[in-house]
Amino acid sequence: MGEGTGELGALLLADARLPTGGHAHSATLEAALAAGLPGERIPDYLSARLRTVARTEAAAAVLALRAGLDEPVDYTTVQAALAARTPSHALREASAALGRGLARLARRVRGDHPAVVGLSTAAQAVPGLRPMRPVVIGALGAALGMTEAQAARAVLYDDVQTVTAAALKLHPGDPLTTAQWLLDAAPDIEASVRAAVATEGPDDLPARSAPLIDQWAGEHTYATRRLFVA
Amino acid sequence: MGALTAPCPEVLVSLGAEPSGGGLAPSRPTTIEVARFGGRTLPVALEAGTFLLPRVMRRPGPALRVALAAIRASLCAGDDLRLRVHVGPGAHLELVDPNGTVAYNARGGRAAWRAEVTLAEGARMSWREPSFIVSDGADVLREIDVRLAPGAELLWHETLVLGRSGERGGALRSLTHVRGEGADLLVEELDLRDPRLRELPGMLGGARVLGQVGLFGRTPEGPHGPGRMDLAGPGAITRALARQTYLVDEALTPVWHAWGGHA
Repeated sequence: MGEGTGELGALLLADARLPTGGHAHSATLEAALAAGLPGERIPDYLSARLRTVARTEAAAAVLALRAGLDEPVDYTTVQAALAARTPSHALREASAALGRGLARLARRVRGDHPAVVGLSTAAQAVPGLRPMRPVVIGALGAALGMTEAQAARAVLYDDVQTVTAAALKLHPGDPLTTAQWLLDAAPDIEASVRAAVATEGPDDLPARSAPLIDQWAGEHTYATRRLFVA
Repeated sequence: MGALTAPCPEVLVSLGAEPSGGGLAPSRPTTIEVARFGGRTLPVALEAGTFLLPRVMRRPGPALRVALAAIRASLCAGDDLRLRVHVGPGAHLELVDPNGTVAYNARGGRAAWRAEVTLAEGARMSWREPSFIVSDGADVLREIDVRLAPGAELLWHETLVLGRSGERGGALRSLTHVRGEGADLLVEELDLRDPRLRELPGMLGGARVLGQVGLFGRTPEGPHGPGRMDLAGPGAITRALARQTYLVDEALTPVWHAWGGHA
């Protein structure tokens, strides 16, 4: 089913032109800058994310990918575990909004795959919470035949590029510099890929929190002028 | 406070001969078990541990108030403080910790502070920890494990402080796990061991005090604000970060009271 599409799937998920709504998100960068983060410290912000919230999301995508290859497919535990590690309502909603765009893509391209059909189980895990982004990425990864490392890296890469693309709008600078930021983040990205793939189950899903990211995400919901939804 | 600046006996630093694991010395847990009898909550078991002595404080009203008194200086290298609390069905416990906790310079050693809290059906507990101070040179694991039966509610106020005044603070890893009805309500690891990493933007930035009031088992009405986080399950946390403890207290004390915290 996923034959020959794994490598392409990894590229597709990393492509900013993918029409799934990612352009409306800044990975909380907009609120961070509003709270006084100096532009030159954006690489440090990336590092904080990659060690904490993005690592949790990458590991959740790996667990979801595994669940998507199980029979029957059941994303309940991974969605619930991720929700329990995302105390911020604003961040859960942002993740669910991104998940919704990705789920639309999944249904279009692999709507009959059990990993995609099974996404309804994720929607039942927590009342009122649609499947979160890492769960849908895992489902797509399973349907397209991606490896666990590819799914994890797609989550982390997308996290970095969400910040860098938003940075160019919020704190205009040389776009080539942001490419350097990405490559400089390689050790943090690969450490989190390894941690994600080594995750055994929902109980040991990484749970490192970043208190100021939660705080800024909360402040953003009260901001009257904003470019990005989150 | 002068007497507390170097309270850890040197002998504890070289406990390597009989550690119980991770360089920690065996210790006796402090146990608090309360139950409801008629309209009142009464102690079933109050057992002193190696570090803390639970004491009933007489107060009017149906809740039972228990204060934790220090038996000896802690946390020093090798200390493994354990606290176990069980609140029976429909019982109501107010736990106070008038002195808070200081983790002292462990000079290469480690310490742990762990609490296990279980609340039976319809039980309520409020728990205020004034401060948990991690001095320069301390290396401490803090672990809180909470299990809530249906209808149980825990209101909890913690204040983590990195360093005494003028210090950058030692290493802290704080794990919080709150389980509700068959599902996790909150799983969080605050990894504040490496000062360089914890000062990253998005982590603590320039703050050295992190306080939070959590209500688990029920989603409270107001107050709402940017520091409030409504959990996916029943519960909410309001958090404050600052350089000084009094600023965190100013932000959180109104929340503590609004959510039903004791005076």
